[in-house]
Amino acid sequence: MLLRVILKRMLAMIPLLLVIATLTFMVIRVVPGGPFDQERNLPPQILANLNAKYHLDKPVLEQYWLYLGRLCHGDLGVSYKYVDRTVVDIIKDAFPVSIQLGGAGLLIAILVGVPLGTIAALRRGTHIDHLAMFVSTMGLSLPLFVVGALLILIFAIWGRILPAALWESPFHAILPAVTIAFKPMAYIARLTRASVLEILQKDWVRIARSKGLSESATIIKHVLRNALIPVVTLLGPVSAVMIAGSFVVEIIYAIPGMGRFFVTAVMNRDYDLIMGITLIFSVVLVITNTIVDVLYMILDPRISYE
Amino acid sequence: MNKQFLKQFKKMPMACGSLVFILIISIIAILNSMGLNLSPYAFDQTTPDALQSPSFTHPMGTDELGRDLLSRVFYGAQLSIGIGIFTAIMSFVIGTIYGAIAGYCRGKVDAILMRIVDVAYALPDLLVMILIGVMIGRGTLGILLALGLVSWRGTARLVRAQFLQLHQEEFIEAARALGQSHLDIICKHMLPNSLGPVIVAVTFTVPMAILSESTLSFIGLGLSPPACSWGTLASDGWRSLRTTPHLIFFPGIFIFTSVLAFNFLGDGLRDALDPRTKASSKQFF
Repeated sequence: MLLRVILKRMLAMIPLLLVIATLTFMVIRVVPGGPFDQERNLPPQILANLNAKYHLDKPVLEQYWLYLGRLCHGDLGVSYKYVDRTVVDIIKDAFPVSIQLGGAGLLIAILVGVPLGTIAALRRGTHIDHLAMFVSTMGLSLPLFVVGALLILIFAIWGRILPAALWESPFHAILPAVTIAFKPMAYIARLTRASVLEILQKDWVRIARSKGLSESATIIKHVLRNALIPVVTLLGPVSAVMIAGSFVVEIIYAIPGMGRFFVTAVMNRDYDLIMGITLIFSVVLVITNTIVDVLYMILDPRISYE
Repeated sequence: MNKQFLKQFKKMPMACGSLVFILIISIIAILNSMGLNLSPYAFDQTTPDALQSPSFTHPMGTDELGRDLLSRVFYGAQLSIGIGIFTAIMSFVIGTIYGAIAGYCRGKVDAILMRIVDVAYALPDLLVMILIGVMIGRGTLGILLALGLVSWRGTARLVRAQFLQLHQEEFIEAARALGQSHLDIICKHMLPNSLGPVIVAVTFTVPMAILSESTLSFIGLGLSPPACSWGTLASDGWRSLRTTPHLIFFPGIFIFTSVLAFNFLGDGLRDALDPRTKASSKQFF
């Protein structure tokens, strides 16, 4: 049953990826200007040779078929800007970095967001609740680069406790991870609060209390276990938020991850690299969404995806 | 829309305060666009005092060309707020028409139209904006279109859901039985009845657009100088974070407070337009 859902999702991914590949391809090729425009004083013959080597002189449709053909063999093409590196090479280096950053961020977001939302719900209407909700609203309203700038200013420039940039030791990961965790943390706290509030009204919570179960046991065993189920669904949207966040965070902290490569690739019109990273991002999102659905089915057997 | 709504809305100090704040910022932006300057310096006027910290003559300090940051932030309100509101209007128009067609026709049309929205939802907003921005070009127009073309999807889904629900109402059936035309049913009966949640959603589009514009400008794929928005100002300030942090701090504060204000306004509108959802109104946007 579970396996069938997973298989179905993976099969559905193929047409989705094809549509995304087609749209992205058309979007970036429609624009005037090519990857070698920025190189100044390139003799026209060299330019023509370069374009011929990468098949950029052919009509767009033919380029598209060529690209799809290579894609089927798992060949994502070469980067025009990073000489001698294939897109697969770049992704192999950048992907683990981004996954580590995203994973650390997700961990922080959950570890802070869930308690924050729970406390806010348990102390509903008090100053603690207002404060927690204010913090989470702030998380949704502050631009990431302002968060990053503040953290760097406080901890790296004034405090000199943490490194301000680069990606070398776990120490270097603290500030970026906190920055990227800011927004997901706010989402998680808000949803946890709403969900806990809803569960607190249920009969079984009243029963647990009336049979003399301690408050902490009631909260952990009866409230949180049920309240966190909807929070799991957030993993899908949160990973999309993380990808968007990585564009900013990886630039702020000069981290060689997927987000920064994507932004520079767009700037350089590095066609194959743009395509490759976009496709990897879509695969990641489809997979996280599948994981969410499967987790949801395990946690709440009443739900089926037939 | 009526007295009940106003009464509800007035009870919310946060939402009312936010509305006042938004009005002030908008007035500053409008006055600026009419050429009226609210500070002693023009937004592009250079002075010899470069990179000064906030002082009495320059309440927010000056940048590396000696331009008064206060005047520049006031001037940047035009683009930032303008982009936010324009995006909201675009998302309202496109989303409503798209959602109305899907929700009214139902069946195959609906399935196809919603599939397209699903595909558009498969990637993060910011990534799609970047790709569309690349296609159209990086000027103000490119950013406006990129934001507008991305933000309507949520509105479309919402309008469609409202319409599907309304199909089951008796007054729609009555209208159909009376022989009213499709257009009449859509415009006179269904749209007015689904407007509430759509207005709330559109209010939340404004802060989303302001944040996206500033983020795009910050990573270098949005507006770039000489265009002057809060995003480009913050992006300029970022380069001198170590020596003059106020250059990123003040534009950041303005982005933050206006986004916060629009979010609070949206919360207030939601509570006022639909008191039933009050319990869950503090969920998340």
